[in-house]
Amino acid sequence: MTATRPPEPSPGVVEVRRRLAELEPGTGATGGAGLDIPGGAPDAPRTVVAALLETGGMRAHGVPGHRAPGFAAFLDGTQSSRIVGFVNGIAIVHGTVAAVVRERRAQRMVTWAHAMEQRIYAPLRTLPATYQASLATLGMDIIDTSDDPAPGGGSPAHPFTLRDAAVNRVGRDRDRLEQQLARRWCRAEQRMLFVDGGIAGGGAGTRDPAADAGKDDVVVATAPWVAGVVKSHRTLYAEGDDLLRVFALQAGERSTVFRITSSKRAPVASWYLRLRDPAGQDPMWGLVRVEVADLADRPGSDVAERAAVVSRWILAEVSPLALPDARWDKMVYGVRDCEQFLRAVGSSG
Amino acid sequence: MIDAPNGSAPAPAPAPPSPDRSSNPLPPTPDRPLGCVVATERRPNTPHEFHFWTALDSAVGIGTIVRVDGDTPANGVMPRVYGVVVEGFSYTDLQSPLHDVLGHDSSPENTAFAPTRRTEIRLYTAHVLRHLPEEPLQPVPMGRVFLAHDEDVNVALRMDGYLAPDRRTGIPIGVYRAGGTESPVYLDADFLLGPEAAHLNVTGVSGLATKTSAVEWLLQSIFAHFPGSKGSVAAVLFNVKGPDLCFLDLPGEIGTEDEALYARCDVPATPFANVHYFAPYKSDNVTLNTLRSNPALLENVEPLTWGLREVLQYAEVLLNKDDVDAKADALIDFIRERIVDREFHDQALQNGKRYTVRSFADLDAWFRDVIQHLEQKGGESWKTHHVATIRKVRNRLSNISTRCAGLVTDDGSVSDLPFGSFEDRSVYVIDVASVEETAQDLIFARVVSRIREHLERRDLGVKHVVVFVDELNKYAPGDAPDTYVRKMLLDIAERGRYLGLVLFSAQQFRSQVHRRVVGNAGTSLYGRMDADELATPGYSVLSPAIKTKLATLDKGQIMVRHPHFTQPIFVRFPRPAIMRGRDGAERYPQAEARPFDETLLRSLRVLDPSLTLQWMQQAIALHDEPDVLRARNATLRERPSDVKAYFRAQLRPVVTSPGSGTPRPGPAPLRPVAGDDPYGF
Repeated sequence: MTATRPPEPSPGVVEVRRRLAELEPGTGATGGAGLDIPGGAPDAPRTVVAALLETGGMRAHGVPGHRAPGFAAFLDGTQSSRIVGFVNGIAIVHGTVAAVVRERRAQRMVTWAHAMEQRIYAPLRTLPATYQASLATLGMDIIDTSDDPAPGGGSPAHPFTLRDAAVNRVGRDRDRLEQQLARRWCRAEQRMLFVDGGIAGGGAGTRDPAADAGKDDVVVATAPWVAGVVKSHRTLYAEGDDLLRVFALQAGERSTVFRITSSKRAPVASWYLRLRDPAGQDPMWGLVRVEVADLADRPGSDVAERAAVVSRWILAEVSPLALPDARWDKMVYGVRDCEQFLRAVGSSG
Repeated sequence: MIDAPNGSAPAPAPAPPSPDRSSNPLPPTPDRPLGCVVATERRPNTPHEFHFWTALDSAVGIGTIVRVDGDTPANGVMPRVYGVVVEGFSYTDLQSPLHDVLGHDSSPENTAFAPTRRTEIRLYTAHVLRHLPEEPLQPVPMGRVFLAHDEDVNVALRMDGYLAPDRRTGIPIGVYRAGGTESPVYLDADFLLGPEAAHLNVTGVSGLATKTSAVEWLLQSIFAHFPGSKGSVAAVLFNVKGPDLCFLDLPGEIGTEDEALYARCDVPATPFANVHYFAPYKSDNVTLNTLRSNPALLENVEPLTWGLREVLQYAEVLLNKDDVDAKADALIDFIRERIVDREFHDQALQNGKRYTVRSFADLDAWFRDVIQHLEQKGGESWKTHHVATIRKVRNRLSNISTRCAGLVTDDGSVSDLPFGSFEDRSVYVIDVASVEETAQDLIFARVVSRIREHLERRDLGVKHVVVFVDELNKYAPGDAPDTYVRKMLLDIAERGRYLGLVLFSAQQFRSQVHRRVVGNAGTSLYGRMDADELATPGYSVLSPAIKTKLATLDKGQIMVRHPHFTQPIFVRFPRPAIMRGRDGAERYPQAEARPFDETLLRSLRVLDPSLTLQWMQQAIALHDEPDVLRARNATLRERPSDVKAYFRAQLRPVVTSPGSGTPRPGPAPLRPVAGDDPYGF
């Protein structure tokens, strides 16, 4: 598998700024790093009650057995958003999204597939026609964010709201690109892929394999060859005592498997797994949430055993450490390798 | 277990790699890059140094020659840079070793279970061999790095300048090997044998077939490739230890790999065709003092003997500074100019007896008369020379024939190298391995001086002479009192190239040799080295990796420095196609000590195989030993067609006693001659 770079690389941030400054004097942004936009606004923290797929309630389960590595590859993506100009106070955003699948071969990481996309994000309807025409000459995809919802319920006319809408769109493009690579893996391979983040994607599934078979969006979420590992816990899928039991997980223990459903996403099976000893740390330290396809209804499927097998595989990845990354307690080395790769090839912010 | 998509198959274990992936690179070829140049602000590239990374399994190593193709033209020309790898680095993304300890719970055993190896880099530093174009000289550009192939090696080492068909002066020194490339490396004869530069020095630990083997191989290569247009060349080798140089004309066993190296360098894998051996006698003046004394090999072994005249010319070699003060020097000059080989008489000595001093025996008789004269008259001086000086000089000179017994003949007979008729592509080996140290010095001084004299007069027979001296630590040490031999070595090193007198020298510790001797060597070879030696300041220009490689070189591997090479280059040379000294000594053991007549017969049978012991016993029966030796020396020197007649003629006539007119029957043979005994014993 080879990287899927465009044959004619899109102009980079500096090039776009330069050309816009030529086309529309006085609109260019040249402030350098100060114009970099951090990731989109995080979701509000919340708890959700999920249906359990194992009997016995939410509790800790040991993960017995030899922790042999089971993942053949790792997938991660990055995004970066930079302002390339201002028109009437509105930021014109240059977004770069990239994703990579790094395959592990003889204990070494090599690139299985890599993709990168660059676009301009702007609320076109608020821009003068001449500026829109100038943007069109850049030879890049122009994404109109005019109709995107205002993040966080902000005022639609506020420049920050428009900017955040663009950044959110960049984030969605990143999710889409990651999904594309994951789908490609699922169609080409029957080996396990470790995805950094959730696998549910953006498509709504029916939990009916026959019905979902033709839907690209749900291929990844229903593929048994993919496991997603979520490091962020803005949404916790337990409440009350159940949540306390999750926090009380010891290193090498997992929680009871539960199902995550959403009207916008395919349902997945999920559980919490403690990678490292949390003694003296915060309750989320070393805690990840694992997502796999919800195959509970399939004949012969044993949810508990699947959770144990995948957990063993994930626990096998606790070394080498992902240091010096600050999230090393939850991050496996394969994902760090993906991030390093994307940073090295200039795909990340 | 996890089900397959159709719910029928279990989830597989990690599967073998797919076939079409970006890692597992194909081996580099001339068209496929093996690395990329990188530079950072902290470690930038310069006009003389650059850095590049490679795949983990690349064929690059210390000493590999690489080519960098730039991608931005300078002055309209795409730059191309050649370099040789001098240092290598390997590291991972591990920020602190402590992270690895933590990651494996402080247990090294756990490292075996890590599913992933950290990303690792192989970063190399190379020193620039050549820029193309040479101007403007710029830092090495970012570019792709390729393994150097044959043509690249020629260009990188500037060999293209002297390998052109119309002006080819290349002498193969060995083969450069890396990643499938196998390119002969050539020295420039103009810089090896003069006149541009000259001399060669070899250094390395003993016993690893580096020093002597390298010189033997290089001489074979010189003889095969030295262009006829540059004149003729011969080699004079001083065998100072063991049998190393005693079997240069006999074939030795070489392997197929060595044969391939010979073929690659276009040098015939044969022993030297024209070798002449010279060795003094032992103190008995009968047996040659050499390990090559086996009767089967005496064909080209000749005695090296000198008389009084030859020795007195180099008396200062044998006499230390305490001996040769101004007064003694004056007396020696007087003897040299007025006494030796001249008719001398002094009315005060033995009533005007006429002296003709031709040998040490004659000289001693003359000294005896002078001292007797002074004692009789009670005088203190004779012809302004004080009696104490006379006694001292007599003592020292008389002692020479004792110290150099076997080399110096009492009767003044001379058997010497064929000065004036040296032959092209010939080797003259002087075996001084078993000779007393003073005699070694004398032999070296006189032989080299004579070669030099003849080269100055252009009548040696050849235009270039390579003189090989091993154990330079002993003969030209850097921190010992000055000696005549060291002065001569310095003289050759500093001025020899103008004459065609080229010094090939070798030693174990280059740092301990006089700096001007090794410093004047245009070409230097380094075999495996001691770490202690490598720690000396003379090697500070070498990178730690190069030093490590030098300390672990295999047999047949050397590092070469040559005026055309801007950086040292590692090459492999074949084992010389000659019999090794150890093998030769086993196959052709030294001749056992035999009675006088048998030894005499053995030496003369080289000239006439029909001689028998019976004939020899009859011929010498009535002659004393000095007379017989003189006749033998004369016969060996003259090499007559009728050996028997000539030998008999050299023996002094025997005065018959009264009553001997009646012919008597000759002595009966001791026993019948065995038909298959080559010596007739």
